[in-house]
Amino acid sequence: MATETDSGTETERGTPTERGTGTRILDHERKEWLLGRGLYVVAGALLVFLWIPLAVMIVLSFTVNASTFFPFRGVTLAHYGATFADEALMRSLWHSVQVATIAASIATLLGVLASFALARFAFPLKEAYRTFGILPMVIPGVVLGIALLIYFRTLLPQLFGITIVPGFWTVVLTHSVYGLPFVLLIVTSRLYTFDESLEEAARDLGADPLTVFRDVTLPIVAPAIGAGFLFAWIRSFEDFIRAFFVRGTMDVLTTSMFSMIKYGTAPKMNAISSFIVLVIAVVLAVAMNVGNVSGMVAGTEGEEE
Amino acid sequence: MATETSERGRSARERFVGAFASRANRLGITAGPALVWLFLLLLTPLTFMVAVSFTSVDTFTYQIIWEPTLANYDQLFAGEGPFWQTAFFQSLALSYFIAAVTTVLCLVLAFPLAYLLARRGGTTFKVVIFLVLLPFFTMYLVRAYSWYLMFGPSGVLNSTLMRIGITDGPLGIFNYGVPAIIVGLTHAYFPYMLLSLYASLDGLDFSLTEAARDLGASRAETLRDVILPLVLPGIISGSLFVFVPALGAFITPRFLGQGKVLMIGQLIESRINSLYAIGYGSAASMFIVASIVVAFALAFRYVSIEDLGGV
Repeated sequence: MATETDSGTETERGTPTERGTGTRILDHERKEWLLGRGLYVVAGALLVFLWIPLAVMIVLSFTVNASTFFPFRGVTLAHYGATFADEALMRSLWHSVQVATIAASIATLLGVLASFALARFAFPLKEAYRTFGILPMVIPGVVLGIALLIYFRTLLPQLFGITIVPGFWTVVLTHSVYGLPFVLLIVTSRLYTFDESLEEAARDLGADPLTVFRDVTLPIVAPAIGAGFLFAWIRSFEDFIRAFFVRGTMDVLTTSMFSMIKYGTAPKMNAISSFIVLVIAVVLAVAMNVGNVSGMVAGTEGEEE
Repeated sequence: MATETSERGRSARERFVGAFASRANRLGITAGPALVWLFLLLLTPLTFMVAVSFTSVDTFTYQIIWEPTLANYDQLFAGEGPFWQTAFFQSLALSYFIAAVTTVLCLVLAFPLAYLLARRGGTTFKVVIFLVLLPFFTMYLVRAYSWYLMFGPSGVLNSTLMRIGITDGPLGIFNYGVPAIIVGLTHAYFPYMLLSLYASLDGLDFSLTEAARDLGASRAETLRDVILPLVLPGIISGSLFVFVPALGAFITPRFLGQGKVLMIGQLIESRINSLYAIGYGSAASMFIVASIVVAFALAFRYVSIEDLGGV
């Protein structure tokens, strides 16, 4: 941090030797201008870094030769046709949608209730409860996946005589736990900023608790609940490692894609991936215009394997 | 009939409201379900995983033999030579190295952009945040795969360079291996760092930096003495959310390492999936869990749990 800057652009410009004498060589305004420019250059370079691999993949999804540009052999939509005609792949996509929806619903229900407990009540071991609720997000996928695999495959049958064959429902259960922290973080942060006197006012005016909840509390918390659901859904949809361990023989989209990369079927992989980028772009653009997505996101840094 | 139904409806409603009458009931209904869920699907499996790491598995029936043994831990560090030459130790050390470099890289890259976002509002902000969030929301697997296309001896980077005539043969730096993994992980976790830093910088009162400058502090001094201490929680929580998942990464090293690099996540996965060596896998996982506990314990000296959520 020895270089001159007020902005953390130390990687961008300004050499140590300019300090001290630099202020006299470069006049103040010129320096401000350069710093401002520098910041934009860095930002631009980063956006290129974030986008270039995705852009390359999208372009390759339309080219005949699907893994590299050269030698260029022309443009085609055939990869998309083959992808959407691939029944096994479409089935795993449908599994992913179902798993994500059920798991996110469970996570949202439990998470919203737990958020009210955290925001509205003082109880013993409250901080432990909160930490416990955030834990699934922090535990690496490999660890959670293996722990649950052992649990479902070995411990439940061997010790408790309960048999749950790894498959659809084990993935749902796993993802419902994984999604919980995202709901919890978003909804509690919303409840903390919630002015409870609104509820009191409604009660004073004669509304019963259920009416207060429906007409006052819910509308204010609803965007956060929606965002929490969306996060839990996306996390489940894109999770590979947890599903990989507990899926049994069922394929979800990520496990299908994993085998596609492993066995080198780039054309379909490019097409389905580009399609997902497009869908997410549309959903995100809509969500950003409807609600404060960036504010929500800033409150839920999570982990991904 | 109609009145009777509405009577019944009302009583159901009253019963529902009545269930929330006492404080204990309200607490039970709100806190209870998640607690049960977390107990059954998180605490119990993880506790058993710890237990399993101290047991052995019957090689024929795959049943766990519940007799305490240190054999799994012994196996992690036992080999031909000293313990630092075992596959496990080397892969653990390599994972630490890769995760640490990724964290530093994310921090250095994300800071300028987070600063820009915090200082500029309006359209610039919206467009930039959209361009950052879109890759962030795009499936992790897809992003790892997109780098898989870029790297490699005949990947996009090498083939393009050769085509343009800058190099004659494939460059080693663009081959699969540690540099490729670091790039892939930086790309994957960069948004976590950015959003953590942004949340911190956005709450920063920039009149403080102006005051510091007015009082004669240089830019570097302002950064060091004013900005950095105030955004420290963001830096720490961002680092945590990059370092921890990078340590346990599986997909990125699997595809961008192409067998040349064995990170801890892959090592565990291969033992479990090919040998069902759950004792070995559990014991190895304990080292990831322990590292994470240490990382969080260190972080909590500077930040609270609320800071981690950015609340």
